[in-house]
Amino acid sequence: MERGYWIKSKPVYTSLVWHEKATSHLVLATGIGGMAVLKLFQQMHPRQPVTVLYARYAQMDADYSETLKKVVPENLYIFKFEEALLASLKEILPDTRMGLRLYVAGSEGFIWDVAGVAKQFGIDDAEIMKELTDTLARSVYCVHCKSVTRNVTTNIVPCCGCERMLFVRDHFSRNLGAYMGLMVDAESPGELPAIEEIYP
Amino acid sequence: MALNFKQETFRDDYSYSNSAHAIRRFPFPFAEDQYMYSVNIEPHTKGEPGSVYEFPFDIDEHYVAECLDKEITLMQDPGRYHALPHMMDAQWDFLELTMTALANDYPEHFSLSRNGQTWTWDNKPLGVCDTFTFGDSSTLVREPFDYIGRQVQGDFVLLDQRDGTLYADAGIVTSQADWSLAFNVGMSWKEWHGPVPRATEIGVMDRALKYLLNLQLANPVRRLNWTMTVNPRLDTSPENYPYWGGDRNKVNTDNVGDLVNLRVELQSLFRLPRSNAIVFSIRCYLMSLKDVTSYPRWAKRLHRVQKTMHPDLIEYKGMTKFHPIVVDWLSKFDDGAELGIGTHPE
Amino acid sequence: MNMIDVKVAAIKQVTPLIKHFTFVKEDGSELPSFSGGSHIVVALDADGRTYRNPYSLMGSPTETDAYHISVRRQENSRGGSAFMHENVSVGMTLKITHPVNLFTLAKMAHKHILIAGGIGITPFMSQIEDLKRLGVEYELHYAFRSYAQAAFVDELKKSCGSSLYCYGDSDGERLDMQGLLSWQPLGTHVYVCGPSPMVVSVIETARNLGWPEHSIHNEQFLSPPVGEPFKVQLAKSEIEVEVPAEMSMLEAIEAAGVKAEYLCRGGVCGRCELGVLEHDGGLEHHDHFLTESEKASCRKIMPCVSRSKGKRLLLDL
Ligand code: FES
Repeated sequence: MERGYWIKSKPVYTSLVWHEKATSHLVLATGIGGMAVLKLFQQMHPRQPVTVLYARYAQMDADYSETLKKVVPENLYIFKFEEALLASLKEILPDTRMGLRLYVAGSEGFIWDVAGVAKQFGIDDAEIMKELTDTLARSVYCVHCKSVTRNVTTNIVPCCGCERMLFVRDHFSRNLGAYMGLMVDAESPGELPAIEEIYP
Repeated sequence: MALNFKQETFRDDYSYSNSAHAIRRFPFPFAEDQYMYSVNIEPHTKGEPGSVYEFPFDIDEHYVAECLDKEITLMQDPGRYHALPHMMDAQWDFLELTMTALANDYPEHFSLSRNGQTWTWDNKPLGVCDTFTFGDSSTLVREPFDYIGRQVQGDFVLLDQRDGTLYADAGIVTSQADWSLAFNVGMSWKEWHGPVPRATEIGVMDRALKYLLNLQLANPVRRLNWTMTVNPRLDTSPENYPYWGGDRNKVNTDNVGDLVNLRVELQSLFRLPRSNAIVFSIRCYLMSLKDVTSYPRWAKRLHRVQKTMHPDLIEYKGMTKFHPIVVDWLSKFDDGAELGIGTHPE
Repeated sequence: MNMIDVKVAAIKQVTPLIKHFTFVKEDGSELPSFSGGSHIVVALDADGRTYRNPYSLMGSPTETDAYHISVRRQENSRGGSAFMHENVSVGMTLKITHPVNLFTLAKMAHKHILIAGGIGITPFMSQIEDLKRLGVEYELHYAFRSYAQAAFVDELKKSCGSSLYCYGDSDGERLDMQGLLSWQPLGTHVYVCGPSPMVVSVIETARNLGWPEHSIHNEQFLSPPVGEPFKVQLAKSEIEVEVPAEMSMLEAIEAAGVKAEYLCRGGVCGRCELGVLEHDGGLEHHDHFLTESEKASCRKIMPCVSRSKGKRLLLDL
């Protein structure tokens, strides 16, 4: 990427910090994201009710569920898979009131899956505090066949739908939770630049 | 004056061409020898009779062929039309704006009769005639924006205004210069303009946004944008890039005048009344370089502008491969004589 | 700005302090449609000057044969509202701007809580029409001094039914802001229009409960405040303009025949922004548009509501 050239569509992630003003808090994490939750509880235990949903699956060797059980006093729910966590989120949100603050830590794919669910309940992604952990791997939307290839770690990737070689652009769509992938060799078929791992 | 609609294509055999009249009224965008990227927004007021600015929505000899091309693109990829659910008021606003304008400005081709909420729309060139209830989508074969968007030349994006910015929350986009509606729908102004090169003056986009947030009813604005396209192809979408990208290799000294087209977008923006949304209309005009040289003044001007273009912009507009050939070919038409300011052909 | 000529078709005294005006097009044709929450600026020529005041459109946005506004007679009026009350009569013609909306409903909200204080009810009158048409859930909370002085209560009861909640101060009825805002479903937006303590209280309560900024909306038009007289020099037009105490800088500039931009004339929209080249003694910012740092820099001013603290200003106009 060029220096001094800031793509405004690219999301900015931060470290999780409690919102002081809130009615309740809901913290969601997967894998190494569990560490971000532990750090959050290092800051303080908020006055308002807190619920934590944690899925261990994302990385088998990074399971913080035992430590979380010791630190999070109540309302901690542990899941084996991300899907189960998201399903539980869908059950919680309808009974939640304005003033809820959402915190997410995990891979980019997980963060935007959560944002997608929250959106259905009128929560804008800008209201969600997001910490990127685990990996820089990207979801890539193929602009030609509309498939999304997940967990992409390289600058160029074959599309899981149409098998075209896609160049992963820095342009991000919050709606799709994915970066744009554009056929890399359309102008000169077969001529591929070096494929490198840049999103480990 | 009744228009003569041509039979022609914007794909496969590319039989598209401009009549002498179409060339003369072409919105040539370069008033000076140097090109500057700027907001260059001006009021979209009534222009000279016969010019592309005469009416809010310009209909020309390519109307029927262009609508047909739009149908093909939408049939192959329905994702070129998209409207988020909260944009329904804006859809009807758009339908009212375009139907009223076309019926008023081209009465020999279009008519609209309104009887309370019962409207009848008659589009003679396309042979469409429908009666429907304004505000009730179930009385039209498609959503209102989709329905009428197919019957007006150009691309349209409906921008919702909230939280101090604009969101591209609906669109019908079949002749875009390399951006994807399916990818961009729902994006805010800043995200949408994410990939704009550094060469664009800093702050231009912010100032344009500030201006547009205050856009008023009955006071539309416009600007011109341009690029170059190989072949008179409307659908230069990223979606179909695998099919047209290779054309950029085909340009050589012998065919450049025919193959390379100056592509000018007349972009206009209108505030919509009921929804407070904004229509962003992008009307595309194509003209081969050979046709540009019908007017020596234009040929000279185009040569000078291209010769001094910033490489970042050439890259951004996707012209890197054939740009030197264009400049070289155009140089033959430039005697260096001084040209005054202005875009006029003669 | 292209204006519309209208004729005053009817005037009704709604309460001792509030008058309702009905405007129609002079030629009987339809007025432009608009969106709930829009306002128009009414231009009035009186005592050798032009008053331009913004008023919310009250009728249904889909009924465009007439526009409706209500004007409360302000104590210490600089002239605008007093003139509307005393000098405007049926049959008179006036100039108005096209509708502008700076107080729009959030179309993606799942529920809307509208809170009005006194004459602040006006922008909601058109918004409830939009909400009813779209079939979205809403509540209208209307607080006023007394039932005797409150405008449009019967009308609202009819059109809002059980979505209307009234609070008459003299009857000891109070709106429990904290209670109201702590029990709303996700996706709710809150809107407030009324006297400034009320606006501040709604915003503060919602913020403290953790409502995100973009779900809190307010309309707080300012009337140009009265201040000390001063002089403005216009660098480009090369003229000097006196700004009397009871006139806004924008009005004074217009009176001098210089064309200046504006939309809201209430310090909200940002359209009238002017560059300040020189000042002696600082600026008195009253607008809601410039950021704190912009205000502190003294390089920009919104002439529709703001003034000079010193004797003289040099503007880039
Ligand atoms: S006119 Fe709107 S801020 Fe001055």
